[in-house]
Amino acid sequence: MKNSIIRNKNKLLIILFWILIWEVLSLIVNQEIYLPSPTSTFSALLNLLCEKETYITIFYSTYRTLTGFFISCTTGIILGYICGINKFFYNLLNPLVVIIRTIPVMSIIIIAIMWFRDTNVPIFVAFLMCFPIIWTNTVTGIISTDIKILQMCRVYKIRKIRIIKSVYFYSALPYIKSAMISDLGIGWKVTSAAEVLSLPKYSIGRFLYDSKVYLEIPSLFAWTIIIIFLSFIFENLLKVLFKGRVV
Amino acid sequence: MIKLINISKKYNDLELLRDFNISFERNKITCLFGPSGVGKTTIANIVAGIVPIDKGRIEGIENSLLSYVFQEPRLLNWYSVYDNLDFVLKDVYPSDKRVSIINNYLSMVELLEYKNFKIDALSGGMEQRVSLARAFAYPSDILIMDEPFKGLDYKLKQEMISLFKSMWQKSKRTVIFITHQVDEAIILSHTIYKLKNRPIDIVNKINVNNNIEEIKNLLLT
Repeated sequence: MKNSIIRNKNKLLIILFWILIWEVLSLIVNQEIYLPSPTSTFSALLNLLCEKETYITIFYSTYRTLTGFFISCTTGIILGYICGINKFFYNLLNPLVVIIRTIPVMSIIIIAIMWFRDTNVPIFVAFLMCFPIIWTNTVTGIISTDIKILQMCRVYKIRKIRIIKSVYFYSALPYIKSAMISDLGIGWKVTSAAEVLSLPKYSIGRFLYDSKVYLEIPSLFAWTIIIIFLSFIFENLLKVLFKGRVV
Repeated sequence: MIKLINISKKYNDLELLRDFNISFERNKITCLFGPSGVGKTTIANIVAGIVPIDKGRIEGIENSLLSYVFQEPRLLNWYSVYDNLDFVLKDVYPSDKRVSIINNYLSMVELLEYKNFKIDALSGGMEQRVSLARAFAYPSDILIMDEPFKGLDYKLKQEMISLFKSMWQKSKRTVIFITHQVDEAIILSHTIYKLKNRPIDIVNKINVNNNIEEIKNLLLT
């Protein structure tokens, strides 16, 4: 209890320290258009939080991020299992994943704008950016399954389907969990970026774009804080969910 | 009788076995004795089907079920003690029968009260007892034991040896027992093969009788 209070106190002091640095820098720059002060940013944030539209926007952006995240997790894990177990499928899919991983995110967003409705662009981009991470980690988890355990299964003539369920699944689980946690953070970043370019009606990206066009820089910072906060909340929710699991 | 006939095996350029022959009597305990690295585990793994052979044939293991007590317990850490036994029995027994078999063998190794414990919560000796219970609970015809008492302290080793003996008496099967400890070989085996290496060959086939001192001398020289 005492340790927890000291830890929280330290965290608060660190946050206050960086806000102070921000304040000092904004005083040095002295131009809101380049670097708004913490005061004006938090004031803009407070205004946003008093508007109903903000919550609708947050809801839609969250929906897009989570949809892209879940699609990438589902396909990444399923295909990762198949490719981890079967070398042929790995060799078949690996070049595609390497290509997806190296394509600049902006190219993907622009291509997606040509292909999809504005609201689906961020979902597709989030999926495509997150998929290689979850797929790679699942494959790595499967490949690094303890060979000695697999030999034991062979001796006891365990059926392949049960090896997949009881051995491969649990061996890959820590890798999948860590990929899901980093994917969620990436999901928020790429969804916002895709929203800025595709401009769906209710989206944080649209508000970021508008703030830039109308030079409402405190509002731009306020929306950025909202994204950071949402990413932080969902990442921690996932961590809590994983900690509560048996493995 | 299980027979390995004219077996040859190479690992890259290293010739482990050249036209090697050995036999294991049914429902008896046969010991493969020799220094570490001689290739005892390779012979056991050939019988278990883990190591493929380059040449030769194996007789007497067709349609046989096999269980294995490895040097390290090789348990599924994410499962409980009970589930580890259940994992290997699922394909051979119906659900209701499994419960009584698992409880019976866990009781034999004195781990019944730990049946819901995760493997991580057990000591090394307890893990090895789970591995022994798993091997006996499985309806195998052949049981391979690869230095199963390695790393155990003296008292625990004696407990495990008497546990093994009582379990084998209740459920006799063909045992291939690997060790480099003279006392273990003499206490547990009916027949001892003393091996030398590169390529592996049998130096002596010893039938264990009452002349313990003579057997000791044969094994130690």
